[in-house]
Amino acid sequence: MSAWLESAIARGQDNSDWLAPKRAHALELLSATKWPTRKTEAWRYTPLRPIERSKAVPVENQTGLLPLAIDGLNAIELAFVNGQLDKVQLADTLPEGLTIALGSELSPEQQASALQEFSTIKPERHLFGLVNDALVNDVVIVSVEENVKIDEPVRISSLLSQGAESHTRVLVSLEAGARLTVIEDVQAQGDSLSTAFVEYNIAPKAYLEHYRFALQTGSNLAVGGCHFNLHDHAKMNSTIVAFGSELSRLDTDIIHAGEFADAKLNAMYLLDDKELFDLHATVEHAMPNGTTEENVRCIVADRARAVFNGRIHIHKDAQKTLAELNNRNLLLSDKAEINTKPELEIYADDVRCAHGATVAQIDKQALYYLQTRGVSRAKAQVMLNFGFINELIDLMPNETLAEWIRPIIRERFAQMEVM
Amino acid sequence: MSNSNNLLTIKDLYASVEEKQILKGLDLEVKPGEVHAIMGPNGAGKSTMGYVLSGREGYTVDSGSVVLGGEDLLDMETEERARAGLFLAFQYPVEIPGVSNLEFLKASVDAQREARGEEAISSADFLKEAKAACKKVDLPISFLKRGVNEGFSGGEKKRNELMQMLLLQPKLCILDETDSGLDIDALQVVAEGVNSQRSSDRSFIVVTHYQRLLDYIKPDFVHVLSNGKIVKSGDASLAQELEAQGYAWLQTEPTEDELEG
Repeated sequence: MSAWLESAIARGQDNSDWLAPKRAHALELLSATKWPTRKTEAWRYTPLRPIERSKAVPVENQTGLLPLAIDGLNAIELAFVNGQLDKVQLADTLPEGLTIALGSELSPEQQASALQEFSTIKPERHLFGLVNDALVNDVVIVSVEENVKIDEPVRISSLLSQGAESHTRVLVSLEAGARLTVIEDVQAQGDSLSTAFVEYNIAPKAYLEHYRFALQTGSNLAVGGCHFNLHDHAKMNSTIVAFGSELSRLDTDIIHAGEFADAKLNAMYLLDDKELFDLHATVEHAMPNGTTEENVRCIVADRARAVFNGRIHIHKDAQKTLAELNNRNLLLSDKAEINTKPELEIYADDVRCAHGATVAQIDKQALYYLQTRGVSRAKAQVMLNFGFINELIDLMPNETLAEWIRPIIRERFAQMEVM
Repeated sequence: MSNSNNLLTIKDLYASVEEKQILKGLDLEVKPGEVHAIMGPNGAGKSTMGYVLSGREGYTVDSGSVVLGGEDLLDMETEERARAGLFLAFQYPVEIPGVSNLEFLKASVDAQREARGEEAISSADFLKEAKAACKKVDLPISFLKRGVNEGFSGGEKKRNELMQMLLLQPKLCILDETDSGLDIDALQVVAEGVNSQRSSDRSFIVVTHYQRLLDYIKPDFVHVLSNGKIVKSGDASLAQELEAQGYAWLQTEPTEDELEG
């Protein structure tokens, strides 16, 4: 076991608040967990040395960190500063039917009911999910009442100062027929280490529109998860845009726990330098008549490394499931690396399930074609890379966010070189 | 020395693809406003000429010179050649999903304006110009929104090439087998578009295997390219002669050059 994990376990044991029962369970599992090595399948291409070497420490009483403004976006802001919810930044009044609360401030009855949901969607197999269970000192609970449609998105930002260690946890509950948009984003100053997990419980006929912008780069280490539980006729549409860093790992789990649920997940990652981004996307079709459509696109430049593991598990009872997984990758240099692995496990006999993964290099013919029209090689590369990703950006339901992210992505492409 | 009145002077050009020499002493002079047709059998080096002039990767110039408007063309990058006024209309235009035709056209026009020291055109003004050009080549306006050549038919791709030419206003247009894969209606649209662009300061090199296109685009000169160089030149009547005779009379040696011509 690594010294880092030992210290995490020791720190977790110090805490005896309302989360204690869950924490005790996580600690028990953790002490029986082996620290992943190259032979551990789930971490095979993502070595954990940067975490073992990390000097990040919890930083308290940091103020003055504000989320970057997104032009034209009118959101309900919820900011974590070095892992602590910054209440100063929280709006005084919220739309009717929406509540945002800290678990520690709830009544004992409410806490008991929150504990029922906490860590039930996030699977236990995830080591850092357990670390988060053990080290998080509070849970932010976002709930939308039955049949309430919240127009303004809730934006959950995690702001990290230099060298900060942070563990954040959010539980989002959409009651039956509710509608909500959640935007998760991170801004980190460097040498940070964070675990950030969000669990979404989406009740019958509720609809979640979800975004996660993992744009931290450089020496920031980030491990996180988005876990979705879909009940009967529930729907979700998720977009993930990620850059890489020394270590960035995201696990998404979509669980079809009810019938006729519909999930869309579009993920794109754009990696440069020596960055790493690892997406492990799991879909569990536990019930019949569910649909899943997953598109994952990745551009890797320089010596960066991308990992994609796309698992779709169709249980025996999940008849009439329609599931599609499409993964396309573009390599911009011969030192760039992509490890992609679609994993289908199908136990029902009346389903439609398709998957495909391709790895390609930039289309030299298209590059030449653009150049013959006077477009510089550098600009042509940006256009082609952008074109590859733009198809997914165009699918983002929120036009304001699409307008915001497009120039950020173009800027990133402008820095990438095709070798 | 090349005639300084020429727009284009190709002198004793030797060029290779994958170490196989395709152009073997090509000479050609084009004055402003002239239309030259280059005909020849498959494997003669017709398409290679366009690729070499545009600076395509993998096409190596072994010796010789090419001067466009007084500038050494071979010394420039592909995009600089385009900005110097060279336009190659492709036999097989490339499909680029995800990049809209409009974005592509504007990037091309802006790049060339920038090279001339002009400012980028405003999106609104450009949209007007692009719509007009679209109409002129008989493509629905919706084609501006679609991915570059994505899912276009052969004829639509050629008309899209023509639209680019209208917007870029080049000095020298090389039309590489523009007639291939076109039905007679599409051929007429393309030919009319080309003819509308003929002017005293714009020249054309029309590369074709068949005489058919030259019924619609009347050349001032016709050259026969065989085994990497021009073996015969004449006026428009030479095209008719070739149509009647075929190219068999050219085969002075076995065709080792079976590469795409």
